[in-house]
Amino acid sequence: MANEQRPVELILARNLIATLSTPGFLVDEEGMVVFFNDAASVLLGVRFEEVGQMGPNEWGTAFGPFDENGNQVPLEELPLTIALRHGRAAHARYTIRSLKGPENAIEAAALPILTVAGTRGAMVFFWTTEDA
Amino acid sequence: MKVKIWGARGSVPSPGPETVRYGGNTSCVEVTLSDGTVIALDAGTGIRSMGLALGVEGRRISMLLTHLHMDHIQGLMFFAPAFSPSAEIEIWGPEAPDASLRDRIARYISAPLSPVEVRELPCHVSFNEAPHTEWRIGSATVRAASVTHRGPTLGYRITEGDASLCYIPDHEPALGANLEQDEQEWISGFDLAQGASLLLHDGQYTNEEYSQRVGWGHSKLSDALMFGRRVGAERLMLCHHDPLHSDDFLDAFHGAALERWVELGGEPARLEFASERRELTVDRVPRAPVRPS
Repeated sequence: MANEQRPVELILARNLIATLSTPGFLVDEEGMVVFFNDAASVLLGVRFEEVGQMGPNEWGTAFGPFDENGNQVPLEELPLTIALRHGRAAHARYTIRSLKGPENAIEAAALPILTVAGTRGAMVFFWTTEDA
Repeated sequence: MKVKIWGARGSVPSPGPETVRYGGNTSCVEVTLSDGTVIALDAGTGIRSMGLALGVEGRRISMLLTHLHMDHIQGLMFFAPAFSPSAEIEIWGPEAPDASLRDRIARYISAPLSPVEVRELPCHVSFNEAPHTEWRIGSATVRAASVTHRGPTLGYRITEGDASLCYIPDHEPALGANLEQDEQEWISGFDLAQGASLLLHDGQYTNEEYSQRVGWGHSKLSDALMFGRRVGAERLMLCHHDPLHSDDFLDAFHGAALERWVELGGEPARLEFASERRELTVDRVPRAPVRPS
């Protein structure tokens, strides 16, 4: 059974993210991770095709992110949540965990996808702090 | 549902002896529903002839604009019913964040580009941003959806009974995508075009031309054919012909298209290139019976 047609803004965002070497993922308006690119898969330790769409809780359990004390960052503090709920860009530093074991200190920036029909989702780009 | 092509050309009017068969007028398609309702799909220069053929007295016409590039609205100023006090024209088009549909169209129908202003048009005209849900026009239901092109752009699906017409004349669904492999939810326009009795779709470029025009918002031939097959359209009519493509060129292009169409499993009779004044009836095409294996 096919999923519902995605808005064209989300399709274009996915197409862009898929071509980039910057690790990035895409969430829909509900906060569901609907795509991440190959560059992100290097840090996450798994390809999108292997895991498919993930809800925020599922994503948090698998990858984090975690603060400097190792605690999972609350959902409402995540840049993607701020982008979705408040319609503005947000930035943060934290740690994510690869499914293959290693943890990476990263910076993440989230950009909302705002349209005349409302918020369609958000793009989140991240990079390891060693690269910054 | 009856369909008549009044403009099959893209980008800019291309009159001349080399384009007389496919035509040089830009995008316009007349749709006549079973209850007599008339819908104009786009208002390129083809709509001038459509207006003359319709006559002006007491007409009510719905106009569905895919977007506001000049090749889709240039004929508005020369559409005879717009100058008749007894005509009623309702215009639908894409929503945009910066201005209303009326104000954006008025950028064309105003000085210095036009001698008259929108408020001076003698007809009864209304401007409506296309809703995000289906709505009714006459005996049909209409659906609009944003599609991949430059700027706010819609495709339309008109459904009457079992028959459906999908119109996406400016569309680049393969931009950054793989039409053969991507899941259908991630293909621009898929839901709109799926299983349409007739799909009128952008087929502007050859594969060679497209390599120099990626991101301009139009399809190369192989992508248009793949899109048509992938969505399962019963008939595919390619339109928005490039202004550089002469009749002889389009004949040869059609031949190449048929070869690829058949390779993709399509029936030759169900692929056509749009030509000006072409008329057809849109009915559901009976499926060939499936033979038991």
